[in-house]
Amino acid sequence: MLLEIRDIHKSFGGNKVLHGVSFQVESGRALGLLGRNGAGKTTTIRILMDVFRADSGELLLDGKRFVPGEYRIGYLPEERGLYPKRKVMDQMIFLASLRGMDRRSARIGAEKWLKRLGVEEYADRKLETLSKGNQQKVQLAATLVHEPQIVILDEPFSGLDPVNAQVLKDVINGLIAEERIVIFSSHQMSYVEEFCDHIVIIDKGRVVLAGELNKIKREYGRDRLVLAAQDMAPARLKERAERELAGLASVSGVQKDFLILELAANAERSQVLERLGRSDIPVELFGSFCPSLNDIFVEKVGV
Amino acid sequence: MRKFCIVLKYELKEYFSSKGFLAVTVLLALAALVLPFLPRLVDLSGFTGVKIVGGDSGQERKDRDLFLYLDEAGTVRESVLRELFPEAEWQAAAQRQELIDGVESKKAKAGFVITGETEYEYFVYNKSMSDTNSYRFDEVMRTLYRENYSKARGWSLKEIQGMYNVPITVSEQVLNKDTGENFWYCYLLVIIVFMLIVMYGQMIAVSVTNEKSNRAIEVLVTSTSSNSLLFGKVAAGALGGLFQAGTILGAALISYQINRKAWGGRLDMFLHVPAEVLVTFAVFGLGGYLFYAFLYGAMGALVSKTEDVSKSAGGLLMVVMAVYFFSLFQLENVDGPVIRVLSFLPVSSYSTMFARIAMGTVSAWEVVLSFLILVLSILGAGALGAGIYRMGTLRYGNPIKLSTALRELRREKR
Repeated sequence: MLLEIRDIHKSFGGNKVLHGVSFQVESGRALGLLGRNGAGKTTTIRILMDVFRADSGELLLDGKRFVPGEYRIGYLPEERGLYPKRKVMDQMIFLASLRGMDRRSARIGAEKWLKRLGVEEYADRKLETLSKGNQQKVQLAATLVHEPQIVILDEPFSGLDPVNAQVLKDVINGLIAEERIVIFSSHQMSYVEEFCDHIVIIDKGRVVLAGELNKIKREYGRDRLVLAAQDMAPARLKERAERELAGLASVSGVQKDFLILELAANAERSQVLERLGRSDIPVELFGSFCPSLNDIFVEKVGV
Repeated sequence: MRKFCIVLKYELKEYFSSKGFLAVTVLLALAALVLPFLPRLVDLSGFTGVKIVGGDSGQERKDRDLFLYLDEAGTVRESVLRELFPEAEWQAAAQRQELIDGVESKKAKAGFVITGETEYEYFVYNKSMSDTNSYRFDEVMRTLYRENYSKARGWSLKEIQGMYNVPITVSEQVLNKDTGENFWYCYLLVIIVFMLIVMYGQMIAVSVTNEKSNRAIEVLVTSTSSNSLLFGKVAAGALGGLFQAGTILGAALISYQINRKAWGGRLDMFLHVPAEVLVTFAVFGLGGYLFYAFLYGAMGALVSKTEDVSKSAGGLLMVVMAVYFFSLFQLENVDGPVIRVLSFLPVSSYSTMFARIAMGTVSAWEVVLSFLILVLSILGAGALGAGIYRMGTLRYGNPIKLSTALRELRREKR
């Protein structure tokens, strides 16, 4: 399955929040949908879920118009919420039934997911009596109870301790392995890097970066190098590097243990290496710079 | 339709698994069932005019209040005392002190010392607010005086009384409805619908707001349509209210029907409701209830905190209250122009058309037209409610003004 979002525009009361958002995601892949608060991620997701209608643009699945009601979609909203005063099993069966399952299958699905997430003992308890982490797991079970073909997870790791986060990681990897479409929205970039092959960064309602994560990283690291020296603080190293490498590279960043160098136009990294060899800088580390997703995100949408 | 049924079932389960809801229903239904049996268990003959069924006459005599009298004027006849105080036991006292002691020791309920043809003294230990003994004894004295006066002049008191109290025979033919007879149960039923609308309307509004405040709405609106959610919720509230009111009212009506003779028909004005009036009440009452329930649901969607519901639904409550008071004031003039107009408006037909049918003159076409207007208004209120619900459910923060919501709905339609 290939889900395509094409040129979506949306306004609320004269305030335009989406300006032609487009991206695509296919089965067995996870897409990281990233953006600052208020960038338009949730609105995009709600349009995908048919909660809002887009002013223009189209949603396609395998080239045909995508009608959310015709597919099983699991949505874990950022703002968690189920009925606090009702029993876990009751509300899971209710939600699964609303999503098209018969009562028996709903119960089987609920039991399966509660067990898989390690909260089956709370099936007959009221939700409000559970800890925050367990409520979070129940919410995830409710998202997956009807075995959705498309899974949209908005900040799924928030509120989870490392052990529960590992359980959730296994579940997400399982979903990807089962060839489902996974759309993953989070501010925790390490998790996005871990699961997502593709990313889309939205800023002020516009897609500012989209594509395969590895390619993007390579692209961002292409003309950049890392440099570290033995027994030399980065600040001192910066001073030396700027002097020794003048005309070949400039210092574009100072990290805790190394510098990031930006190659000058037409300069080659071999020339930089040669220049360093001639200098008395005790080089400890020299190589290509591989930016983290966090670096890319800050660079694209930071002030 | 399937999703509507799922929501309805889930919401109904909420009502029927609520201990408070069940306890109130069971307790009130039990009270409604048991209270009409009272005249069989306790002597209410003073109110009902019917002696206790299967009562022991010896015990009854024993339980009678004792009254003492001292006839210093020599005018009293016990037959007159028994006639005007049929529930009392009379005993003559030999002396004034004996009479006073009897009252003071509470052996006797009261005592009378007759000091002249038109004078007497009344002795009572604690005089209650409802004590009418002296008024009744005035009548004893008047009767005795009239008898003695007539006898002294050789007149026949019976003839004179016959002349004054000549019986008049009337054959009343009410050609349409007896307003006096129907007034009180109409009054009662109008109050019941009003209470149902206010109580359940508020519950529906709070339930919608709760889903916003606990964010369950986010999952719900992405799982089904807002129409299924609101219609299911309102229908569940309607059925819950119908079940509760029906059980309590049904218990009262059936129990009273069983005990009607024991009550001497004294509660007919409240509880002997003709079947066609009950059907009209159910149809129009349910219609009005649904109409308001949808609007209450929409009001709930305009706010995010349950403490703001009263602010949001306040305007609606004012309308319901105004209709309620107007209906009650107009019950005495059910064929007047005001109530005729109100009986066609969906905000008020639930009580006014029902009152006109029960107590006034109304043509079949008026009933049909009013009902059609009500049905169309329910559908309109449902569509409007669902629209506001859909628009308002995912907006958190400050309450949304109704005018803003309506403006946005219009814009969305365009």
